[in-house]
Amino acid sequence: MSSGIVNLNTNPCKMCMPMGAVSAFYGVARCMCLLHGSQGCSTYIRRHMATHYNEPVDIASSSLTEEGTVFGGEKNLIKGLDNLIELYRPEVIGVAATCLAETIGEEVPAVIRRYHESRPECAVKIITVASAGYSGTQYEGWFRALHALVSQTAVAAARHDGLNVITGPISPADTRALKNLLRGLGLSFTLLPDISDNLDGGHAATYERLPSGGTPLAEIVRMAGARATLELASFPPEGYSPGRWLEEKHNVPLIRCHMPLGLRDTDAFLKALEKLGAVIPEELRQERARCLDAMIDAHKYNAMGRAAVYGEPDLVYGLVRLCCENGIIPVVAATGSDCPPLKAALEEEIRPAAENAHVERVSVLNFADFDDIGAAAEANGANLLIGSSDGRRLAHKYNIPLVRCAFPVHDHVGGQRIRTLGYSGALSLLDSFANALISRRESVYRAELFERHCKTSGLSASKSELSLQKKTVRHPCFSASACHTAARLHLPVAPDCNISCNYCVRAFDCPNESRPGATAKVLSPEEALARFMSVKAAMPNLAVVGIAGPGDALANFSAVAETLRLVREMDSEITFCLSTNGLLLPLYAAQLVSLSVSHVTVTINAVDPAIGALIYRHITYMGVKYEGEVGAAILMANQLAGLKLLLEAGVVCKVNIVLVKGVNDGHVEEVARRAGMLGASLANVMQMIPVRGSVFEDMPLISNAEHMALRKRCEIHIPQMYHCRQCRADAVGLLDEDRSCLLQTDEASSRGRDAARMETPVRVAVASRSGVVVDQHFGYADQFYIYESDGVSTRLVEMRRTPGGRGGCGRCGGDKAVVAPRPGRLAGALEAVADCKAVVAMRIGLSPARQLADKGIAVFSTYENIDKAVRAAAERLV
Amino acid sequence: MYTHVLEERKNSIKTSDRDAAPIRCETASVSGAVSQRACVYCGARVVLNPITDAFHIVHGPIGCASYTWDIRGSLSSGSELYRNSFSTDLQEKDVVFGGAKKLTSAIDEVMNVYAPKLIFVYATCIAGVIGDDVEAVCREAERKYGSRVIPVKAPGFSGNKSTGYRMACDALMQLLLPHREQAAADGVNILGDYNLAGEMWIIKNYMKEIGVPVISTFTGDASYDRLLGAPSARLNVVQCAGSMIYLAERMEMEFGIPWIKASFFGIEDTTTAIRQIADLTGSPETRRKAEAFTRRESERATALTAPYHKSLAGKKAAIFVGGGFKAISLVRQFREMGMETVLVGTQTGKADEYEVLGKLVSPGTVILDDANPAELEKFMREKGADILVGGVKERPLAYKLGIAFCDHNHERKHALAGYEGVENFAREVNLSVNSPVWHYARG
Repeated sequence: MSSGIVNLNTNPCKMCMPMGAVSAFYGVARCMCLLHGSQGCSTYIRRHMATHYNEPVDIASSSLTEEGTVFGGEKNLIKGLDNLIELYRPEVIGVAATCLAETIGEEVPAVIRRYHESRPECAVKIITVASAGYSGTQYEGWFRALHALVSQTAVAAARHDGLNVITGPISPADTRALKNLLRGLGLSFTLLPDISDNLDGGHAATYERLPSGGTPLAEIVRMAGARATLELASFPPEGYSPGRWLEEKHNVPLIRCHMPLGLRDTDAFLKALEKLGAVIPEELRQERARCLDAMIDAHKYNAMGRAAVYGEPDLVYGLVRLCCENGIIPVVAATGSDCPPLKAALEEEIRPAAENAHVERVSVLNFADFDDIGAAAEANGANLLIGSSDGRRLAHKYNIPLVRCAFPVHDHVGGQRIRTLGYSGALSLLDSFANALISRRESVYRAELFERHCKTSGLSASKSELSLQKKTVRHPCFSASACHTAARLHLPVAPDCNISCNYCVRAFDCPNESRPGATAKVLSPEEALARFMSVKAAMPNLAVVGIAGPGDALANFSAVAETLRLVREMDSEITFCLSTNGLLLPLYAAQLVSLSVSHVTVTINAVDPAIGALIYRHITYMGVKYEGEVGAAILMANQLAGLKLLLEAGVVCKVNIVLVKGVNDGHVEEVARRAGMLGASLANVMQMIPVRGSVFEDMPLISNAEHMALRKRCEIHIPQMYHCRQCRADAVGLLDEDRSCLLQTDEASSRGRDAARMETPVRVAVASRSGVVVDQHFGYADQFYIYESDGVSTRLVEMRRTPGGRGGCGRCGGDKAVVAPRPGRLAGALEAVADCKAVVAMRIGLSPARQLADKGIAVFSTYENIDKAVRAAAERLV
Repeated sequence: MYTHVLEERKNSIKTSDRDAAPIRCETASVSGAVSQRACVYCGARVVLNPITDAFHIVHGPIGCASYTWDIRGSLSSGSELYRNSFSTDLQEKDVVFGGAKKLTSAIDEVMNVYAPKLIFVYATCIAGVIGDDVEAVCREAERKYGSRVIPVKAPGFSGNKSTGYRMACDALMQLLLPHREQAAADGVNILGDYNLAGEMWIIKNYMKEIGVPVISTFTGDASYDRLLGAPSARLNVVQCAGSMIYLAERMEMEFGIPWIKASFFGIEDTTTAIRQIADLTGSPETRRKAEAFTRRESERATALTAPYHKSLAGKKAAIFVGGGFKAISLVRQFREMGMETVLVGTQTGKADEYEVLGKLVSPGTVILDDANPAELEKFMREKGADILVGGVKERPLAYKLGIAFCDHNHERKHALAGYEGVENFAREVNLSVNSPVWHYARG
């Protein structure tokens, strides 16, 4: 498995047994199916088949419930049979027992016996199949159903000169082609099953819901007297070959052929028929000649083919042989079934073909899922996928064209018309293989050749990259040259922090102190905008607006986002920069990008939880407090993941590392290395400032010489910032001359947007559960939507529960919605609407209507849209 | 010749103006009746699947995983992990000796290879019957890896699709409960939209237009990190009522978040929803924005669909969908387009929803709960329906009967929600109802 996982099937290349059983029963005349089990099985299988065949697919279920599961499902099954017979009048019913029925030990044959005993008049033939989903795939389910059909109906009969022809799972169109071919040979035969009409019907003036095409029961009964059985399947599951059963029980000789797919196997099939007396008509010989001609015409294209073939055993075998005889090398051949004989047969077929084409890597996979198939297809260089439409995700992921030629096909039309068998089927398949290869070549060869032969030195940087570069050059922190010329403004709008670092205290402020976390005042977004406007007017060299606390920018995201939005409305050019501890970066990275934040600094002090735990006391993540290594691990994972997201989105990132002697000084280089690996453009190794009152206030500091040496070591991994001044959360101006304390101006609050009051609107109570339409009786209402309206506009004020009501709205599931109003409930409803001028309800009793009228409350009955109803009521009142 | 309606089913079918008795609904399907419903697992998977970076493991034999592999059009703006199908693929020996060990090993491997932050383990029929203690396995894995490993109790026989919705909501609560202590944030959660054809994105755009932040989405285009913020929201907006009201109720109980229902199908419903959200969460500024935005968009959508009205007027619609809330929306949407509904049914509608339906439709309309193909056939024919709105299982039946069809399920690739959806819906209905092929088919 590509991901190395063995206990999990990742994207199944198979379905379950009942799917196969139902499909086979669809080839029997006037037959219906009932799945004994949960309701879901039948619904899922119907959906899967209906979207492939584009035909109505009706499958009944015994709809087992908890009770049936515990006490046995006999009652459900019997009722299900009765109902199915009444609705469809079938001649045959296939009862397939699902996982559930099999596991709880349902004795289905015994139930059916009792069913017939209690209903002697019932002439419906009921066939039972044990088809637990865990005992095999749809392939095994198909044969189990056929085996059950034959063994439960065929009775010893006089020999006749008919021939039994039994197929594995094939398409309706292939079934029809096979039938026509046999007819053309002048043979008398019974084809089992025959899904050609039931799963590929025409459009008629009247619709018959009982599938009437297919093999008649009377013919299946006579199969025991046939002169031979031709079974066109090479890998039927042990013990479930209907042909073998007929041979063993009724001495009907069994002739086994490969599915007639491709030139060789069609030849062999016709030869077998010739032996049985068939006369091959000239027309068929011409068809063969045309097939051969087409094989020759396309052989050079097909020789490019490296196919990954997947699906049911017979189909995979047939397709692989078709590929091999046309020079397409099946570099992957896989089945989702567990079928060891297939693996051996495939290897025998593919090995010489691969050797002939000098292809070394081929994979034959048994019991495979699409994860395996995809990995092998990529490793072996497949350029063509052949199988069901389930391979489309691989096609997309690995950019390999897919030829859809097996059940299920859910994303294209024509699943019922797939042709693979006989000379004409081979021809149509070959055309699609060759055309897929040609199209692929056509779509990539220009770019491929350009890449290979005409590589230039790279295109010029795009416009946005240039402006980003310019922004970086003008950013005082990201560019040492700009730090003397370009000014920045830190807007202190982020008071809260979500982690607790041992070196940090944000509790007090001295305006003369310069260190991160300090600010004179926390601003609201509106105040921040006002400060920006005044600073901008005073400093023409203002290049950057930054958010640097005093807490964590992202822990106050709504204020930060609002601030940036307001500033951006006023200035489309200014660079947005932000610093964060990174805990919430994965959550907000995308939004930062959309807010046009181009530069971000993440403080990462450790990438090892054990070291991190020494620095961080605790973190608070999504409402939960984590301490020690757990907290440090979450923080670290989010910092790195967030950094990655930002860098992928093209944001310029700096990593700050606070140096704590004796704690992380030996680890700083590792942090720098990781930051460099991820693609950060700058690292800033900062000396810790021992703040009074912090846990680390008495920690020793490292010397400047040690500090510089450490920076040099880190520089191997990532460029270093040497000009940091560890500035305040409300810093203003150049790095070297903070002017924040000069700025304590009268920043008046710009808040005070006042609501324009409506002129005496009326209050209207609406009985509604949905909130969309008026849908409640007044007396039954659990809640009222309280609106105000002046007759023109409406406004939802609140939703009010009815005192004494049930509380909450309609629950999904069990509860009955319609219950008689409890005494006191009506009083509650009256109380709930006491302050309103009108009540709107779907219906209202006479007595409450009178009581409301007495209180001067008008009553309106409607089931309209809630908004319209309120407006109409208000209009009438005003 | 055929019986079209089974005796036991008669009380689940009524004609809008004739039968006074309430319709029989919210019961188990009738055995053998070819119900269109799915199962508990299906309901749970529908709700949780759109969580894009979760690892969804189906614990059971292969069928359940096979038939639900990436079959829904939920879109992602991030991880594509959810589009895989993972199954423990239980074999005969696992059924005999128990599958818990295999599940444990599978989770071990997943953690080593993918290290996801969130795993859902769906216990299907067989896991339930053979007695695997899935909860214990999940608990142990959580302890061992620190990631969330959440069991979803979803044996098919333990109820219907609604039960599955509830199990999924329980799983979501299990995810959220440890994160209850969060400061209140200014924003809403959107519940019950699965981002089919980008519909969650459409709704989020509306919220952006009126200045209401969206905190978490349940579960369209959701991710583990984004979900965890949900307890901080000030309002839950519930779009698919059937699947998510239970979650809204639990979030109200646990986190004190009030909720409203909203429908984004049709011009009128969409406008009502946006304005209600603005009323309940926003400043006067938000309300003004909502007012202006909905007016502008309603006018635009009305203008865009106007040309279709002439070709659709008088056509008759049949509706068979999953839940009652959607059915109500559709009846009203058809009415907006000048079409009459002649048949309406749902898989799992509630009694009160059926009552509203009874009021909304014209006299003589057939209303059915948990209908089967035979009934749909009979009544669509009798009522002369021109188009059926339903899931893909019903599509071939409609076509055989010469009736147009509109997909209103999880597989579609164009949005039907919001103002954008109104035009798409009108266009789709028109191209099928007025297709030239019916001339030949009806001869």
